[in-house]
Amino acid sequence: MIQAQNLYFSYTGSPPYVLNEINLEIHKGEYVSVVGENGCGKSTLMRLILKFIKPTDGIITSQAKRIGYVPQKNDFSNSNFPITVYEMLNSYRKLLKLKNKDILAKNLDQVGMSSFSSALVGTLSGGQTQKILIARALIGDPDLLILDEPSTGVDVGSQKEIYGFLKEINQHNQITIVSVEHNLDAAISNSTLIYHLINGQGHLCSPQKYADEYLKKTK
Amino acid sequence: MLNYSFMQNALFVSIFISILCPCIGIFLVLRRYSMIGDTLAHASLAGITIGLMFDQSPVLGAFIFTSICGALIEFLRTYFKKYTDLILTIVLALSVGTAITIISSGKLHANADSFMFGSILTVTQFDMVMVVILSAISVLALIFLYHQMLYIAYDEETAKIAGVKVKLINYIFSILVASAISVSIRIVGVLVLSSMIALPVATALQLGKGFKITLIFSIIFSMIDIMLGLFLSFYLNVAPGGFTALVSVAVLVLVLLTKRIEVSIRTMH
Repeated sequence: MIQAQNLYFSYTGSPPYVLNEINLEIHKGEYVSVVGENGCGKSTLMRLILKFIKPTDGIITSQAKRIGYVPQKNDFSNSNFPITVYEMLNSYRKLLKLKNKDILAKNLDQVGMSSFSSALVGTLSGGQTQKILIARALIGDPDLLILDEPSTGVDVGSQKEIYGFLKEINQHNQITIVSVEHNLDAAISNSTLIYHLINGQGHLCSPQKYADEYLKKTK
Repeated sequence: MLNYSFMQNALFVSIFISILCPCIGIFLVLRRYSMIGDTLAHASLAGITIGLMFDQSPVLGAFIFTSICGALIEFLRTYFKKYTDLILTIVLALSVGTAITIISSGKLHANADSFMFGSILTVTQFDMVMVVILSAISVLALIFLYHQMLYIAYDEETAKIAGVKVKLINYIFSILVASAISVSIRIVGVLVLSSMIALPVATALQLGKGFKITLIFSIIFSMIDIMLGLFLSFYLNVAPGGFTALVSVAVLVLVLLTKRIEVSIRTMH
């Protein structure tokens, strides 16, 4: 689904690199959590996958037919923006040129937010906003879902619901998930693989191995 | 009052202004680009003076020059990513510099003062045709690009993922802003034009509604502001631009006060 070969990235175009010789392959149906310290290049890698930025060197490709993106709530949200949940979802549907309006109600129902259709997005709690963002990202049946720290600003109860739902759509709908995570417990219990970035270099490992080798070291 | 043909012309143009300005203004305000409206309003003065210097329509001159400045702002954004205010200063220097140089050269074949403060006496037939054409094209473009522009304002990255050509639409939007400004300068005047773009939207935002309802109320408030400004300035014999700006501030204050009283009553219960 995603391949990166000898990938380098620096915001200035020259060393030091934020991402340094990244070689990565993510297969269809995987749930990969990208973890690492602040500033290790997690978000940069995500932005490269989404093609928001171009690699300084190397190649990164994706075979996804449609990507669903769940931005970090704090990054995009302008709580004063006058937009209802329905408007937010419906305009996105229009951008994707999808004719069937029923998918909006179906997606809202999937994340348990049916009764919030006419609510202003800015008035929702962190957990509710995240659920709406996931409902939006699933419009158009994406085969790749990319999430940027989905538990930021979300209460524990909603975190449980969100991760449960992500795991379910990964297993049942075979949606490949790449999630930038700072919530290590969620990463270990939900992902099929962990991509651990340290100082711009990374490697894939199983959640169990990550828990055994790295978390124990830091403890 | 409506027996005067100049007043009929002014009223005709005002209806178009009151629809077009908030339609453009809502995107400018929500993208925190209100000052771009102000800069382009000042840029239009250079277009007006160029138009007058060559004995051409000042409205057409304003539209062309303001469109160029709008595109220039968009272009410079690539080079000054984190200094949007600096871009506005550059464009302001270019346009106001051009206007002052032309005015002070004495080569102007007409008086540019009415464009500074707005005037109901100076709306010509040609202006009216220009206003209808520019407004019709702009409103059609807005209807066609509504969802794209809403998403660029709300969540640009998701818009990109959904395949929106953000850069192209930003350039088109610059032309729409130029169009709204050119349509409005005759009546409202350069100096307070940005108030017509931002204040009805600021007032509608106080209602705490969704995007479509906020847009509809922006148009309603804009109509109230411009019509009241136009009629009262006629009776008071003052420039319509300045007075419309005062009316729009008064309407905003009124809505804020009403909201405050409503909240107080609700908390008392």
